[in-house]
Amino acid sequence: MAEPQNWVPLGIDTNVPSMARVYDYILGGAHNFAADRQVGSQIEKLVPGLPSVARLNRRFLGRAVNFLMDQGIRQFLDIGSGIPTVANVHEVAQERDPAARIVYVDKDPVAVAHSQLMLSDNENAAIVQADMRDPEAVLSSSEVGRLLNFDEPIGLLMLLMLHWVPDEDDPQKLVATYRDALPAGSFIVMTHVAKDQIGENVGEAAEVVNRSKSADQMHMRTHAQVNALFDGFELVEPGLVGCGEWRPDGPGDIADDASMNMFLYAGVGRKD
Amino acid sequence: MTNPSRRPDAVPPADTAAVRAREALARKWSYLVSSVIVVALSRDELDAELGAQLDAMCAALHKEPFDPAPFEEVGERLVALGYVNEPGLRRTVDVLGKGLLALEEFSATEQHTVHVVGGIGALACGFVSARARAILDQQESMQRSLLKAAHDAQRDQRQSEAKFAGLASSSTNGILIVGLDGRVAWGNDAIGDILGHQPEPGTRLAELVAPQSIVVFRELMERVLAERDEFQRERMQLVRGDGEFSRVTLTASLLRDDDGKPSHVLAMIDDDTELALLQGELRRQSLHDVLTGLPNRQFFTTHLETVLRRADPEFGVTVFHLDLDAFGLVCNSLGGRVGDQLLQHVARRLRAVMSREQAMVARFDGDEFGIIVENTATTPDIATTMASINADLAEPIFVDDHGLAVSVSAGVVDRPSPDVDPTELLRMADLALRQAKKDQRGQWQLFHGNQDMERRRDHALAVVMPGAWEQGDIGVCYQPVRVLATGELAGVEAVLHWDLSDRCAELADQTGLILPMGEWLMRITAGQAQWWRQRGELDAQFGIRLTHHQSTDADLVSRVAKVVEETGMPHERLTLCMPVGVLGVADAAENLSTLAARGVRIALEDFGLGPRDLAWLSELPIASVCVPKDLTRRMDPRSVALIPAVHEVGVNICVDGIETAEQAAWWTQAGADLAIGAHFGSPLDAGDFLKEL
Repeated sequence: MAEPQNWVPLGIDTNVPSMARVYDYILGGAHNFAADRQVGSQIEKLVPGLPSVARLNRRFLGRAVNFLMDQGIRQFLDIGSGIPTVANVHEVAQERDPAARIVYVDKDPVAVAHSQLMLSDNENAAIVQADMRDPEAVLSSSEVGRLLNFDEPIGLLMLLMLHWVPDEDDPQKLVATYRDALPAGSFIVMTHVAKDQIGENVGEAAEVVNRSKSADQMHMRTHAQVNALFDGFELVEPGLVGCGEWRPDGPGDIADDASMNMFLYAGVGRKD
Repeated sequence: MTNPSRRPDAVPPADTAAVRAREALARKWSYLVSSVIVVALSRDELDAELGAQLDAMCAALHKEPFDPAPFEEVGERLVALGYVNEPGLRRTVDVLGKGLLALEEFSATEQHTVHVVGGIGALACGFVSARARAILDQQESMQRSLLKAAHDAQRDQRQSEAKFAGLASSSTNGILIVGLDGRVAWGNDAIGDILGHQPEPGTRLAELVAPQSIVVFRELMERVLAERDEFQRERMQLVRGDGEFSRVTLTASLLRDDDGKPSHVLAMIDDDTELALLQGELRRQSLHDVLTGLPNRQFFTTHLETVLRRADPEFGVTVFHLDLDAFGLVCNSLGGRVGDQLLQHVARRLRAVMSREQAMVARFDGDEFGIIVENTATTPDIATTMASINADLAEPIFVDDHGLAVSVSAGVVDRPSPDVDPTELLRMADLALRQAKKDQRGQWQLFHGNQDMERRRDHALAVVMPGAWEQGDIGVCYQPVRVLATGELAGVEAVLHWDLSDRCAELADQTGLILPMGEWLMRITAGQAQWWRQRGELDAQFGIRLTHHQSTDADLVSRVAKVVEETGMPHERLTLCMPVGVLGVADAAENLSTLAARGVRIALEDFGLGPRDLAWLSELPIASVCVPKDLTRRMDPRSVALIPAVHEVGVNICVDGIETAEQAAWWTQAGADLAIGAHFGSPLDAGDFLKEL
């Protein structure tokens, strides 16, 4: 009798664009494949300011991690971390305190493999391959168990993440599940594509993504809807604002084109 | 990524003016590139990094003979900082090309110009070659990652295979792995049960297929091998060992080897009798709420349809739409988990309370529940049912040391027609629920058909109202206020007039439009009053009724002040009438006192219905009270008893809605002072009103 073997497809297809790699492309990286670059350049054509949006998101990440470090946070759970590029959470945090612990989470197998290679000699950082819609898988993973102490505040990061979660999957409930797992004094950091601010082209750009072979579909949300995702967290000043307007620290934190500052909503909330 | 560092050979210049000039240029450079690059440096770090690079370039420019190599290195370092792409290079070339030559230290000789140009060329070269290397590195790292991901997936796959073997052998579904030659390679135990014998490896699958299904089977396999879709599925019959046929659903998909080439076909065979059982379980799962185990809304709706038809026409059914009060508060303060436990508790209690009845309790969404009761002669009435539900839930339960007692509000539809559509029935219950929630917690409200019609009409009117106002379709009319005993004119009341509705102010109050519209009414009225007074045509007291919204409006006093100032109407000539019910709101009482202090006469309407109505009269500066139309019409002797008490505190009484001489006589007799109503003159526009007078 023959063994039942090799019947699982690999599930890694570079002809299917991955949003993690598209983001890297738009940011200016080369950690991507032709299919990613094709989607990336198509949407860049529709929204020429997009590179600055990706850059602002990255800058915001840096400010937010520094802010959390100032608040005494030393452990981070970065969900939807994507392809590790420049100025990752562990670089920013461990630059200030090498003992800071970081767990990245992404569902893209290539992003995960890349992160594993990059973090191989960093004992205080690791990556979990999981879908954020499966909080159980994330929270009970061995990496989270090893690196995060749920008796001490944790910085939960969801950057450019939740607009990939449709309403049917109840993002608010998902965030609440993570929130419930966090001890008091923890923080959430979020950026989300803004629905109220955008022009027609952005809708078309979202269509490009949604029509591509990628399984990820973009769901833009209004200020009120994103605000609701912070349920159970107290937003710190200045609240939920355009990404470039969250405590900017220098010229690189703000886009030359003002409308790009409002392209993403950004906020940091504290669980009391 | 390499860490930036100060280069040892980059010697800063000696004199401070030159140091400052370089710092300024480095900051400008840093400022300009920072909005197009992605680096792991803070603003200060980037300033320092570029400052060091600038020093290195300046040192090279001062050296004789000129060597452009340091410039090339600067280009390489820029790439190493992170994602510094073509836009970063462009800005660098721009700012350095102008800036280096503008530095005092290089303005002396022509030679420097040549060196700067050569240096920047070298920088660009260094940048481009480093960037090309970086791209290759990144691409290579991606290939490595891809390889690793594939390896990992394969490792997982081996684990999955182990799982698969376990699953396949314990599965109640028949599973066959068939070679591309159509011969069975492997089968699990369940396929033996379905066929009555275990197929030998090497058996042709087609031999197991009943003759009547062979065409369907062959077409299915063709589609599988042509890779039309991920899998193909057909119903067919297989030949059992005993010669009987068994009905199955066969699902087939293509398996691939390491190189992605088709190697086998996987066939799953569902025994359709087994399938029926499975479908039953699936249906149960899709009809029940996972958290509470109660039927869900969909199940409830289907059940409604059945129940409506079969219910005893004498007693009918009653539908409750329940909503937990302050559930959001519980979740927000104690967390979603506590909320979930509370919902489970409520589900259990509701089921217990209703256990004596032929009833279904369902969970809708969030904190909403539904109950349908098939009434019998012994079913308690709605009030009793609601009271027992709330009494039961008032017993606190303990979740994580939090003692929680809850109440529910309900919308109730009692004995709907058996022909009503279930969805429509749920909508009616929901509507009644909203009505109940409007008042207080723990309330319930019965659905009334005409209330629904009216609400829909109101809603439609409220939507078109702002447009109508702008178009001039809403105007101001005037009606006389007369002394009951003598019929002489005591004042004029100005009212909003709209052909489409006689409840114009009420509708505008619901949408908030009343604030600007009410101010406009005051302005038009005051202007008209002044016009008549100045022409000597009419000099009277002018009254306007304020809605709930207006009375509590924080800007009411300033709105009135503005109108008075613009029109010149004296405060004393204006009477503003507030609904008595609003006085419990601090803002309203404050508005009232401030306006009265400025000389505006204050009246209260809807007077005589509330227990505190009389008390307000001695506490606040009220000039008159207005008896509402329904009370006027009722001519209730008990109202009469109020009149001396009102007169005693020096307030006069106006009755609204006098339509007949008989009513006028009755209220005159009762001692009321003033009257408004059709009997004394209906609302008319300004011109007609004056003529009628």
